[in-house]
Amino acid sequence: MISNIGIIVTWISFVNLIFLLFSKSNLQIHKLVRLNLFIHFILFCLLEIGLFIDDFSISYIANYSASTTPPIYKFASLWGSLDGSILLWNFVLSIYFLVYIKYFHKKELLVGIKIFSSILIFFVGYTIFSSSPFAGCIELSSIGCANSSLLPFENLLSSEYGRGPNPLLQNHPLMAIHPPILYAGYIGLVMPFVISTSHLIMKKNNNEWVEMAEKATFFPWIFLTAGISLGAAWSYEVLGWGGYWAWDPVENVSFIPWLLATAFLHSAKTQIRESTLINWNYSLSCLMFLSTIFGTFITRSGVLISVHAFSNGNIGTYLLIGLSIFTAFYLLVGSKNTQYFLTAKKLNNWFGRSGFFIANNIVLFSATIVVFVGTVYPIFYETLYDRQLTIGRSFYDTLVGPLLLILLLLIVFSEKLPNKNLNLSEWIKGNQKEINISLVISIAMSLYYEASYKFIFTIFASTVLVIILSKNLLSYIKKGKISGSYWSGQIAHIGIGIFAIGLILNVTQSYSKEVITSPGSTIEFGGKNYSINQPYKESKDEKDVINLPIAKNNKIKNASLNIFKNSSQQAISSPAIFRNIESDTYVTIKVIDEEYFKLIIRKNYGIFIIWLGLAMTTFSIYPRIRNE
Amino acid sequence: MNKLITITLLILLLAIPLINQDKDTRYENWSSNILCPVCQGETIYDSPSEYAEDMRIILREQIDSGLTDDEIYNYWVIRYGERIITNPQRRNLEMIVLPIILISLFILGFMRSTKDE
Repeated sequence: MISNIGIIVTWISFVNLIFLLFSKSNLQIHKLVRLNLFIHFILFCLLEIGLFIDDFSISYIANYSASTTPPIYKFASLWGSLDGSILLWNFVLSIYFLVYIKYFHKKELLVGIKIFSSILIFFVGYTIFSSSPFAGCIELSSIGCANSSLLPFENLLSSEYGRGPNPLLQNHPLMAIHPPILYAGYIGLVMPFVISTSHLIMKKNNNEWVEMAEKATFFPWIFLTAGISLGAAWSYEVLGWGGYWAWDPVENVSFIPWLLATAFLHSAKTQIRESTLINWNYSLSCLMFLSTIFGTFITRSGVLISVHAFSNGNIGTYLLIGLSIFTAFYLLVGSKNTQYFLTAKKLNNWFGRSGFFIANNIVLFSATIVVFVGTVYPIFYETLYDRQLTIGRSFYDTLVGPLLLILLLLIVFSEKLPNKNLNLSEWIKGNQKEINISLVISIAMSLYYEASYKFIFTIFASTVLVIILSKNLLSYIKKGKISGSYWSGQIAHIGIGIFAIGLILNVTQSYSKEVITSPGSTIEFGGKNYSINQPYKESKDEKDVINLPIAKNNKIKNASLNIFKNSSQQAISSPAIFRNIESDTYVTIKVIDEEYFKLIIRKNYGIFIIWLGLAMTTFSIYPRIRNE
Repeated sequence: MNKLITITLLILLLAIPLINQDKDTRYENWSSNILCPVCQGETIYDSPSEYAEDMRIILREQIDSGLTDDEIYNYWVIRYGERIITNPQRRNLEMIVLPIILISLFILGFMRSTKDE
């Protein structure tokens, strides 16, 4: 039943979008865009209803949900695998369509509507012609569904149980938040793409498009920052991976749009102020969107093996075709505007405000190149030589590390950049006290911790940055007027500085060991004693949990193993974390037996500081909300 | 006066890593770039697992007995394949050269189009 309705409604949405593509009246457009959003909302609800009533005649539900799945994970199963996540994708895209016509669309730029609807048609087309979350099951497998049909009114078969979601995805409620927030970031980047291409096609050659595109980038950028941070938190706090970032290809492709969007937020400001960098801004505004499609292609096409990669038949080809079309479109529109690009003003103050903004762009784009090469190179290598390569942290440490350091040094000056060239000796004189305080702090930290040059440079750059910018911020907060993009920038910069302090502590100081122990015994680690209590088992519908209470002084935390029923995957370990500002003691269970356990116990430095920095960066939304 | 303080502090700061010189760098370099084959993406330096511990002992012996980098490399790659080494850029220099060339080209192009003639 739901399968039939879903398939038919998807078709209706497709037809509606075709109408939208050809409609000319502004009133009609507004109605159709709202209707489109309504239809996608209905589709979203339909699949949710299907999930909640365990309609296993729908292939997607039979394969990625189960009757024993707890409600919150049933809800989240909608985006637990490919077909459903495309449904969420289209829903979010439809929300942004409404945002676009409300805030960024101009009546005379009908072409913007055409571009936006074409993109939506492309993605809705996938659920109609290739693979739909509403496809009914026509052939059962032992559990779940083996084969499905894209046509309505077939004779559907319903399996008795569902397979249930991937255990990784049903271990913590963060699953319900991390993907949609990340999507809100990714998909929002379609707006700057539509804005810049539509303006340039219609030869609206003033800086208005860049101003609009910048606004349309900022909020998705916030979502992207929050989404990536939540992903990091999820893998560290919940999944017991022990780390928050592994330079996994899928993490990399989420980082690329972030880097590009960050670059654009800065270079757009330069164009707004000085009419420079026009072609560069046009490129960035499109590359953000294209890199999102590229990322989806990389992760969903099966060219990579990763924790995040779920592939499904022909989505790879489909996305590759889309990526080629959108890229060709970007190049075509660009090539028609070379005259306009030539009107860009040249720069003469390389050590003034614009110079710093450009340096920022060079650093961020260089980082993008490094991350891109690091992600794509192993694929080429394997195709060429039929051998696998592992690109580990050291590759990124060598190349991204120095770029981050340069970036921190640039940010130090961001508090008050002069229009003309910066006078460095005067600047040092003006900030002598702050510089000296930072030096003292850096020396103290370098003596206390194991210090390498990497460590002291990063610590010094970030403490100067945090001290100078915070002083500036606090003095303004007293006057009670922080609003507007300048203060957003300042808050984000302080966040990055705090983050960098946590990061360098974490990267250089952390250590770990494996211990074999038994109930009632005490382990000594990092100068503290931890006593191991008797483990106990909890049985839930969908999983068994073995909890191991660990006590430090009077604090008791559970390290646990989650063993999911209906799943062949290995158990998921959840950590016990004893946290203070400086470091975490992080205990995960490796093996648990009647008499002995094998535990991994880690000292992870700087985690609290990292979370604080990321939270602060996300909080940079506040001054702009106040302003707009 | 203020300037003098700053310079003194700076020199002090820059001198600290010199005192801290670690003698074990060769071992650290190697162990932090050999993947532990049974752990999820961890190197034997990071991984606390027993398997990694065994590998660390072998590596320690190799370094103490003065094996060359090539000999150590071959030992591990023959047994576990190329993917055991997590810093392939050391041998596949093109991996470092390629991004650097791309970055240089980008900067060059960028400067040419924005610079005042």
